Amino acid sequence: MQAYELDSPERLRNHLARERLLYQPQADGQGALRWQRLDDPAQPFVVPAEPPVFSAKAFFFAEREALFRYENGRFIALVPEARPQVLFGLAACDLTAVAYQDRFFAVDPHYQARRAATLLVGLDCAHSCRHGFCAMMDSGPEVRAQTADLILCPLAQRWLLLVASERGAEVLAGLALQPAPADWAQQRDAQALQVAVEQGEQEEIALGCAALNGETVDSQAWEALGLRCLGCSGCTSVCPTCSCFAPLQQPSAGGVVQERVWDSCLYQGFQQEASGHNPGATPGQRVQRFWYHKFGEDFRQRFGRDGCVGCGRCDAVCPGGIGVHQVMKRIGEP
Amino acid sequence: MQVIPSICTFCGVGCGLGLRVEGGRVVGVEPQPGHPVSAGQLCAKGWASGFAIDAGNRLRTPLIKEHGQFREAGWDEALALVASEFRAALEAVGPDGVGVISCAHATNEDNYAAQKFARAVLGTANIDHCARICHSPSVAGLGRSLGSGAMTNSIADIDEAELILVIGADVSENHAMIGARMLRAQARGARLIVVDPRRTRLARLADQHVQLRVGSNIALLNGLLHIIFANGWEDRAFLAFRCANEAALRAHVRALTPELTSAQTGVPVLALYELARAYSQARRAFIAYGMGITQFQSGTHNVIAVANLALACGQLGRPGTGVNPLRGQNNVQGACDMGCLPDVYPGYQKVSDPEVREKFARAWGVAQPPAPGLTSLGMSEAALRGEFRALMVLGEELVVTDPDQHKLARALQALDFLVVVELTLSETARFADVVLPAASFAEKDGTFSNCERRMQLLHKAIEPPGQARADWQILAALAERMGYAGMRWASAEEVFAEMAALAPPFSAISHARLEQAGGLQWPCDEAHPDGTAILHRHCFPRGRAQLIPVSQVEPDECPDADYPFCLTTQRLHFHYGGGAMTRKSPLLEREIPAGLLFIHPQDAARLGLGEAQGVRVASRRGALETRAHLTDDVPPGTVSMPYHFREAPCNRLTNSAQDPISHMPELKACAVALLPLPPGQAPRIELERPQEAEYAGL
Amino acid sequence: MIDLTPRPLRLLEFYEDGEAARHFSFAVEPLAGEPAAQPGQFFMLAVPGVGEAAFTYVSPPDAEGRFSALIRRTGTLTAALFALAPGAVLGYRGPFGRGWPAAGPGERLLLVAGGCGLAPLAGVIDSAAGELQLIYAARNRAYQVLARERARWHERHALVETLDQGDDGRPQGHPLEALARVLDEDGLPAKVLCCGPEPLMLAVARGCIDHGLPASRIWLSLERRMHCGVGLCGHCYIGSSYACVDGPSYRYDEYLRLLAASGQAAATALPPQPC
Repeated sequence: MQAYELDSPERLRNHLARERLLYQPQADGQGALRWQRLDDPAQPFVVPAEPPVFSAKAFFFAEREALFRYENGRFIALVPEARPQVLFGLAACDLTAVAYQDRFFAVDPHYQARRAATLLVGLDCAHSCRHGFCAMMDSGPEVRAQTADLILCPLAQRWLLLVASERGAEVLAGLALQPAPADWAQQRDAQALQVAVEQGEQEEIALGCAALNGETVDSQAWEALGLRCLGCSGCTSVCPTCSCFAPLQQPSAGGVVQERVWDSCLYQGFQQEASGHNPGATPGQRVQRFWYHKFGEDFRQRFGRDGCVGCGRCDAVCPGGIGVHQVMKRIGEP
Repeated sequence: MQVIPSICTFCGVGCGLGLRVEGGRVVGVEPQPGHPVSAGQLCAKGWASGFAIDAGNRLRTPLIKEHGQFREAGWDEALALVASEFRAALEAVGPDGVGVISCAHATNEDNYAAQKFARAVLGTANIDHCARICHSPSVAGLGRSLGSGAMTNSIADIDEAELILVIGADVSENHAMIGARMLRAQARGARLIVVDPRRTRLARLADQHVQLRVGSNIALLNGLLHIIFANGWEDRAFLAFRCANEAALRAHVRALTPELTSAQTGVPVLALYELARAYSQARRAFIAYGMGITQFQSGTHNVIAVANLALACGQLGRPGTGVNPLRGQNNVQGACDMGCLPDVYPGYQKVSDPEVREKFARAWGVAQPPAPGLTSLGMSEAALRGEFRALMVLGEELVVTDPDQHKLARALQALDFLVVVELTLSETARFADVVLPAASFAEKDGTFSNCERRMQLLHKAIEPPGQARADWQILAALAERMGYAGMRWASAEEVFAEMAALAPPFSAISHARLEQAGGLQWPCDEAHPDGTAILHRHCFPRGRAQLIPVSQVEPDECPDADYPFCLTTQRLHFHYGGGAMTRKSPLLEREIPAGLLFIHPQDAARLGLGEAQGVRVASRRGALETRAHLTDDVPPGTVSMPYHFREAPCNRLTNSAQDPISHMPELKACAVALLPLPPGQAPRIELERPQEAEYAGL
Repeated sequence: MIDLTPRPLRLLEFYEDGEAARHFSFAVEPLAGEPAAQPGQFFMLAVPGVGEAAFTYVSPPDAEGRFSALIRRTGTLTAALFALAPGAVLGYRGPFGRGWPAAGPGERLLLVAGGCGLAPLAGVIDSAAGELQLIYAARNRAYQVLARERARWHERHALVETLDQGDDGRPQGHPLEALARVLDEDGLPAKVLCCGPEPLMLAVARGCIDHGLPASRIWLSLERRMHCGVGLCGHCYIGSSYACVDGPSYRYDEYLRLLAASGQAAATALPPQPC
């Protein structure tokens, strides 16, 4: 991997923003960090201490996507107009999730149209966030190969810029950069190790995962967790790998538009059939299903890795107190 | 894609959220980490906000009804018609025969404009809103006991509490982020006790569930006081220095033995002792209550009984304590604060006080009506008597949410003129002569006040559809047309500034100051420039708190041979009010069939009623058909229905018997008879609609 | 890339075929190089303004794109469909999913169907070269579907029909008893293909296993809520599989393995409505 020294991330960012819409995590003044379009090049780039509220998911798998329009006996495909854009400052966990969804939505034209127009600039984490356990989930803390075009690595006094794809190399044209010192890789590895140490052993995740796959969790334990699930859809909305959607018909000026909208497998109605039959009838079954999708061995085989990337957003967003750490702790208890 | 910080438009919790805006529409929301109430979480309704205001079925132009059919009209024509109809009504019957029902869903600015329009332009004191049917007894009861009708403490006080006592509130469903906070407190070691006739989710998760008989709140609360006094568990110092009338209260509960209380409430004696001891002996005990306290004909006395318990135990005026009514709508607190009540001006300044009337007459340049006006139910009763002719309704779904639906529909049809300001063609709007298109919360600037008195700022994120406008703009334009020049505001900020200058509790609040994260909690004035998290720390507004002895009152209508079941009403996590917004989400609409009757399996077995089978539910006032859901959430003998569904409107059945003080109708208890439909027969849906009120353009 | 946009489909005609059920004929413009639909596969039918839902073919699209489907009215989409007249334009995507396994040379098949579950098996029966037996269970005579096809099949195959409520109101036969009799009298078939309410299918599978038929020779067609048909929307999950691409036909041993691995027991609850 080609490595450069970088005096400031803003210089790279503003270079990239010249020909693309650029999004970066920005504080909203009310306590949240959100992906926002960069309108002012003087805006500083601040390294996030906690992950932004949303991952990059919505940039590709839009929360509301028009699929087609029906008008006068014809169905007209509606593929999004994809403008060149760059996501600047994506953490390793979120990039791993993008790679996971790239594979899941490999043949989805709407996803791929947005994805193909996007340049991904990763950011190694120099410190662990509050709920994160990316080191254990093999998705961080340093950005994984093949998941980004460019990688920023904040070291103690300076920045490293790593070129992680051909496209990443191309977009640097015209930007004056000095090669990084020879030991950059060791420094980067040491920092990643330090973050992994900060995250600790995450024993409850390991035990919970084992219990989940060892089929040692009885249905009562799941129902006890299910009682705490309000079916709010928060976890599935913020989860960077959740991908379920539902159809929505929208009347519009030119006929009826078929949209797809984010759905949640925690809703009772998710599998309910017109006949009344519901394979996922109880809240416990649905909670179990959600976690099986994230940590189940079958899914791991099918998609090449765990569905969970260890970002910890579900811990923060769950009003029932059954985010990943609490659930894994409860089901992993002997 | 841009994310605009905003405040959730559903319940009174006032969660922070970010509106995700793309292509001029709100495509979704993000929660708000760091928010003092919601702390980065949302409930199912909050997550569905984008669907709720979708342009799909929104009104885009004013509508005028002709020969039973709506047609589109321009603002000029519609406002001219509204103005002339109000003038005609005023000439015919005077200001007592016209009125405004404002909106607990709209902003403070909209509500200020609504009451000013009523009082300064129409010259009537008839201004009310749906607090009448949710927390008017709290305003009345806590006002009498403590001197202020709002939540005494803050939602964050739950974190400090050693004990949390929830009475008659389904918190995890209806105020989910408060429920979440309670469960977090419990996980940290606080004791959680739920008093509710229904076995709610929170009751199942609580340390103790006290399953009292519907409508026996005062008996229970008095019985607890008896035990507390008998054991010397009261806070003597608090009673001595902060309260008045202790002796009378002691005497009043002396004869109410635990055995008697147990017989009246159905709660075992041991559970009564356990609850009395736990609440009185906790260092910091937080009471939250909801409509299981207020929606009774004894609603005000129920609230007073709650206050008595807290006062006797000294659980007020400190962190982690308090008497905390959980307000239903996102801005029902604000609509009360703004004086959309027939007896108070903005800031709870009393209409009955001549100096207050004089103050507003001077400020507004118009003589003020001499006495408090009619409540919303008072207006509909006056309409049935022919004394009330013209009504403006802003955003309230009276036809679905008010008691005794048939009677209400008759009242609306008895009016000479009804104008409804709405987002969509609601069930109530179908009765209107003119419907005016309103902007939703994402389409205007303004403020909401949550149930802990926290004013928070909204920013306009998108343009309203078509010609829709903010309520305050509509009212200002109408005022202009009716010859009143005192509502020429250029912005919501100006409306707020005028209000704050007239209402002392808000005098130090401005839009500019509300830009700060989390807003400000009133009272916020010269003495409290940064607001007030906890009321009554050192004294009560009226000096000492009043201990007011109250006695158990049975519901107006109890089960009998003809109507053998007690029907209570409830809300569901997934829906809100009449469902006009939440039911636009394909996900929330999928969750719940349009109408349900919750019934205990024993009762169902006795009737031969199966799961999802159709059932006819009848009360003395009306009947409907819906589907049964068998659950031990309700005790045998009691059935429950949500009120969100126009297809199965439980308020066709409910009783309009009223609390004599607050005029709260007894929505929480009436008697019904059940008749199973033959298996396989779908329930028949009869909507309460005027004939031919269809609008082909929608 | 997949195409999530339907192709126009014309409703040609329909006739009543069982209580609240209609037999529809549709025509779609054939696409060059389009794979032929196999028995047991399904298509997504779009009713403009209402939505899409999955249905199986009774007869697969012919060279002109004509095909038929048996549809029972159960929800809002089918209610809207039933309100349409011949000539109406609908939308079509498909064929989707994995159909029934082909019968090997000389293999004897045993088919068990309940209610509308007869429809996905029609293609198997019509194209059967070898010996075939069919057990068809329905709630009552009015609920039976594919009357014309059954009349035809009776002439060629051994067909046992059972009714939960016979014409005299009493049960007329029982699918599990009929199954036991066939297995006892004729021995084990090469394959059992089963489609109907899930509890019926599970009972049939257990009955077969009790008679010594390996689970790997039993196939079930699972019904799940489906929206996309292409393995993306997530609704039709069965364990780690998606019925729209990995099914709807599942080999019983595979179905059990999927459920066991995902920690979910096979459904045992009775359906809200009998077949």
